[in-house]
Amino acid sequence: MSDAPVLEERSLYEVHQKIYPRAVHGWFAAWRWALVVATQLVFYGGAWLTWNGRQAVLFDIVHRRFYIFGLVFWPQDVIYLTALLVLSALSLFLFTAVAGRLWCGYACPQTVYTEIFLWVERLVEGDRNAQMRLDESDLSFNKFLRKTVKHSLWIGIALWTGITFVGYVTPIRELLGEIRSLSLGPWEMFWVGFYGFATYGNAGWMREQVCKYLCPYARFQSAMFDRDTMIITYDAGRGEPRGKKKSAGAGDCVDCGICVQVCPTGIDIRKGLQYECIGCAACVDGCDQVMDKLARPRGLIRYSTTNAMEEGWTRREMLRRLLRPRVLVYSGILLGVTLLAGAALYARVPLKVDVIRDRAAIAREVEGGSIENIYRLQIMNTTERARAFTIEVSGLPTIRLAGESTAGIAAATSRVVPVKVRIDPAQAAPGTYPIVFTIRAIGDDAVAVHEKSVFIVR
Amino acid sequence: MNRLVSILWPAFVVGGAAEVVFFTVVAPQELYFFGEAVELGPLATYTIGFFLFWCIAAASSAFTVFLQKSAEEINRCPLEPRERPPGCPKAEP
Ligand code: SF4
Ligand code: SF4
Repeated sequence: MSDAPVLEERSLYEVHQKIYPRAVHGWFAAWRWALVVATQLVFYGGAWLTWNGRQAVLFDIVHRRFYIFGLVFWPQDVIYLTALLVLSALSLFLFTAVAGRLWCGYACPQTVYTEIFLWVERLVEGDRNAQMRLDESDLSFNKFLRKTVKHSLWIGIALWTGITFVGYVTPIRELLGEIRSLSLGPWEMFWVGFYGFATYGNAGWMREQVCKYLCPYARFQSAMFDRDTMIITYDAGRGEPRGKKKSAGAGDCVDCGICVQVCPTGIDIRKGLQYECIGCAACVDGCDQVMDKLARPRGLIRYSTTNAMEEGWTRREMLRRLLRPRVLVYSGILLGVTLLAGAALYARVPLKVDVIRDRAAIAREVEGGSIENIYRLQIMNTTERARAFTIEVSGLPTIRLAGESTAGIAAATSRVVPVKVRIDPAQAAPGTYPIVFTIRAIGDDAVAVHEKSVFIVR
Repeated sequence: MNRLVSILWPAFVVGGAAEVVFFTVVAPQELYFFGEAVELGPLATYTIGFFLFWCIAAASSAFTVFLQKSAEEINRCPLEPRERPPGCPKAEP
């Protein structure tokens, strides 16, 4: 490689150079593949599971209901969504404090799909050198064929990803039926295309640029690092002075450049921690292979901490620093929020009621001088079987319902039940009185909700 | 190109967040357009809503980018076009 001055990454005028990461095998690459398989099994497979005769995981935005196995969430349950977001953020903090960008290196969809697309690319175009040669060569039948096959495979994967994505909103079996009979709705078609295109563009073309320029996490990761965070580190003390020849006093780094070639973001880890590093550990695997060949100990590039490097700690001493306040506090909060959310979910009553006072009719006198207020109760049965409920009202002497006091609600639906509430004449002076509606499932007293409202006397 | 990305991408993220928050609180059936109920299907409403949010956020991003132009970019360049350094967007090839 020449040392010609390259325009540094000044975002506005940058000329992008395609990075050809070299394939790498080893402990961390195996872990990454394990996670690719696991996450994609969940994503592609999850849409096909059924539960209670419906799709197990379904975001039914048409009816505004989210099904996750036995649970049904309604918009009113947004607190659980908040809890989920808080939990994700906290886990990210925790992982980052412990071992840097574990998320980026192993589980981020950007990494996962790039890994899959790179695999296809290698399958069709050969290894790194073959790819570079192919790209430099003039257009030939061979080149045309290989490029066509590669892009077709990419588009195929991307489309299937888009279909799966929409399959979590429109039940996937229905969706495929619609595609087969060419009756796919325009909006579904649009989202399949949109998501598919995003996958194809991000994993096929943008790749490391997404991490470098678009990802906000890369920008604030360092706020979560401390001197005991395990990050990918080049052991300069051992490696330098680098050199090809085995002269006296030379370090262990033979300057083979493998660590740079395998790097998906194209950086040289030997220059120290850089924000572009996604912590994929490909350079660790790569350098370990080189060290094995040279019969030198592994770990010239390894997960290590600033403190361990400076103090020359052993692995044991370094791992002991795992139990530092920062990690303990993050773990503590994480555990607390998880328990709280779990308990709330467990104690959740599968019934919700909103009381709406009829705004048009305030209070009126009915036969015999009784005073009547009208309410509308929106009763939501969040279980997956039909249920009947009794409605009671209390809070004022002689207060009672006029008319129906039971309501049947079908499975996982809501219904608005109009109710009339009356009190006898001369039970209360004009004014506003708090009252309470109690809605109880027939046959299951534990399922009950008390809702407050007001009764107006004129 | 880079400018376009730095307008559209943050707007995409913010628009997506706004979409989720808005439609968690408001059901599409509850929306009114100039006093008339929105009669599109839910999926259409969600999609149009998303693009609307995206556009609004993009407008804000674009304004930010526009105001961030440095004095050098706004002022007339003191150099002759062919004397400008390589990489300068106003340089002559
Ligand atoms: S792979 Fe290891 S030996 Fe080769 S250049 Fe990188 S650090 Fe040096
Ligand atoms: S420097 Fe190493 S760990 Fe960081 S992105 Fe490159 S290959 Fe992955």
